Amino acid sequence: MSLLAMNDVSLSFGGVKAVQDVSFSVEKGEVFSIIGPNGAGKSTLFNLISRLYDCESGQIFWQGEEITSVPSHRIAELGIARTFQNTELFEHETVLRNLLIGKHIHRRSNAVADMFFLPSVRRQELVFRKEVEDVIDLLNLQHYRDQVIANLPYGVRKMVEVARALCIQPKAVLLDEPSSGLNPEETEDVSFWIEDINEELGATVIMVEHDMKLVSQVSDRVLALADGQVLATGTPPEIQQHPEVLRAYLGDAE
Amino acid sequence: MRFVQKTSYDQDIRFFEHRGQVFWYGLLALAVLIAPLFIERFYLGELSLVFIYAIAGIGLMLLVGYTGLVSLGHAAFLAIGAYSQAWLMNQGVPFPLTLPLSGFITAAVGALVGIPALRMTGIYLAVATLAFAIIVEQVIIHWPAVTGGFTGMVVPRARIELINLDLQQPIAFYYLCLAILVGCLLIAMNLLRSPTGRAFRAIRDSEISAQSLGIHLSSTKTLAFALSAGFTGVAGSLFAHKLGYLAPDSFTIQTSILLLLMVVVGGVGSLHGIIYGALFIGFLPQMLAVARDLLPVGIAQMPGLEPALFGLILILVLIYEPLGIYGRWLKIRSYFEQFPLYRRATHKRQKSYLRTERLR
Repeated sequence: MSLLAMNDVSLSFGGVKAVQDVSFSVEKGEVFSIIGPNGAGKSTLFNLISRLYDCESGQIFWQGEEITSVPSHRIAELGIARTFQNTELFEHETVLRNLLIGKHIHRRSNAVADMFFLPSVRRQELVFRKEVEDVIDLLNLQHYRDQVIANLPYGVRKMVEVARALCIQPKAVLLDEPSSGLNPEETEDVSFWIEDINEELGATVIMVEHDMKLVSQVSDRVLALADGQVLATGTPPEIQQHPEVLRAYLGDAE
Repeated sequence: MRFVQKTSYDQDIRFFEHRGQVFWYGLLALAVLIAPLFIERFYLGELSLVFIYAIAGIGLMLLVGYTGLVSLGHAAFLAIGAYSQAWLMNQGVPFPLTLPLSGFITAAVGALVGIPALRMTGIYLAVATLAFAIIVEQVIIHWPAVTGGFTGMVVPRARIELINLDLQQPIAFYYLCLAILVGCLLIAMNLLRSPTGRAFRAIRDSEISAQSLGIHLSSTKTLAFALSAGFTGVAGSLFAHKLGYLAPDSFTIQTSILLLLMVVVGGVGSLHGIIYGALFIGFLPQMLAVARDLLPVGIAQMPGLEPALFGLILILVLIYEPLGIYGRWLKIRSYFEQFPLYRRATHKRQKSYLRTERLR
C-alpha cells in the first residue's frame, strides 16, 4: 500500500486543464520530486493534495484511505504538512510563535482552559516549546528565534516555513520549490536538510523543484509533468534522458 | 539595553520577562490602587469610564488586532450587555451574577451573528456588522416590553446585599471597574499565550497557511467574535451602571466608531494600546474643553468641533503612526535605549515579499 496515491485526478480552471488524469503513487520513506515547465500543474497538484482545491474527477488516497473530500483543515491531522511557493508565514509574529502555531493540531486544551491558563495548558505549552526547540536545533534557526518574520531575509523565511511544517511531526512533507529564490550555497544547504528530514525524522518528502541538480542529488524518484499531464516517472537519470521530457523542456529537434 | 538570558522554557511563557518589568508594573498597580486618595470625584468617575472603555477595547482588540476582522458594530454588543444587565437586575437577579450572565448573553449573540457574518471578510464584514448595529438599535426602540423603547429604562443600583455594599459609590465603582479590567486583561493575556490566541493570530496573518496547519477557520473566527462580544458585553453592563439610565441614543454608530478609534489610536495588535487608546478617548473631551477656552471664540464655539477633531486625529494616526500611541512609545523607548546609536531606519519595515496568490 502506497503512502499517497493519486488516481486519475483532473482539475480545470475555465478552459485551462490544469491537471488531466494524473495518477502516481508515493511510497513511504521516499524523496519524490515533481518537475515540469512553468504552468505544468505542479503547484495545483499540491493544492489538490492539501485539499485547497477540489478534484473534478479522480481520487486521492492516503495510507489506503480516500481523502478526496476531507476538509482542508483535517489534512494536517492526517500527517501531511506543506510549504508554499512564495512562503506563507505569519509575518507579524516571531519565528518561535510561527513554529508554535505549527503545533496546533497537537493541542489538547480548549478555549476555556486556555483563558485561565490551567496547569494542564502550561504543561502542554512546555512540551510544545521543547519540541519546537528540537526543530530549531535541526534546522539551525537558534539565531532567529525571537525575530519577527517581516525582518528576516528570504532564505531564512524559507527555512522557517520548512521548520513550521516539521512541527506538525508529519508523515509526509510537501515542499513547494524549496530552493526558489535561494543562492547556490543556500540551495546546497537545502539538499542536506531534505536528507536530514528524510533520514532523521523518517518523513516522506514530496517536492516540486526546478533546480535539476538538487532534484538529482536527493530524489529517489521523479515525476515529470507538462501541460497537466504525466510525461514520465522514474529515477533521476531515467527522467533526464527521457525523450518526452527533453521535448517538453527544449522543444523538438527541428 | 537589557538582554535577558533564558535558562528555562517557562521564561517564554511568563507574563513578565524580567525584574524591571515587575517593578514598573507594580508601581503602576500601586498608583491606580491609591489613586482615589488623591483624585477628585469627577476625575475618578472619568477614570472608571476609561476602565470601562478599556474592557470593551480588549474585546475589540481581540477581533481587530489579533484576528484581523473589522467590526463597525461593537456599540451593539455594548448595548446588549447594558440592556441585559439592566433587565436582569430588574428581574431581581443579584448583582454579582448579572455581570457574568450579561457577558454570556452578549457572547452568545456574538456567536450567532458571527456564524453568518464571518463568511465575509474585510469591507464586507465591516458593512455587515454596521448593519447588525443598526438592527440592534431598531430592536431596542421597538421592543419596549424589555428595553423601555424610546423612554428608556432605569438601571437599578449595583449593590451587594449580603454585606450591604453600595458599589455605585464613586470609590467603590472605581475599584469594581479596575478589578474587572484587570481580570479581563489577565484572561486576554492567557488566551494570547495559548493555542487559542495563536490560532487567532495565524488567521490574521495568513488564512491559507492557518488552514493547512489544521486550524478550522470558521469555528476559530466565530470563537473570536463571541469572545470579543463577551468582553464588550461585560463593559456594557458596567457602562449601564455608569449611565444609570439607558436610552437607545447611548449606543449609536458614533459609539462604534469611537471604540474602533480607541483601538487604532492606541495601537492595533497590542494590549498596551487598549489602555492608551482608552485614556485617549476618555480624556480627549476634557482636553478639548480646556482647549476651547484658549481658542478664539469663532472657532471654539463652532458646532461639531469634537467629531471633526476625532476624525482628523484618526486620519493623522493612520498616516503617520499606524501602530498608534503604543508604537510611538516603543520608538521613543528604543531611541533612548540605543542612544546615541539610534538609526532612523530601525523601525522601517521592508515591503513584504510576494505571497502565494490567494486561492479563494
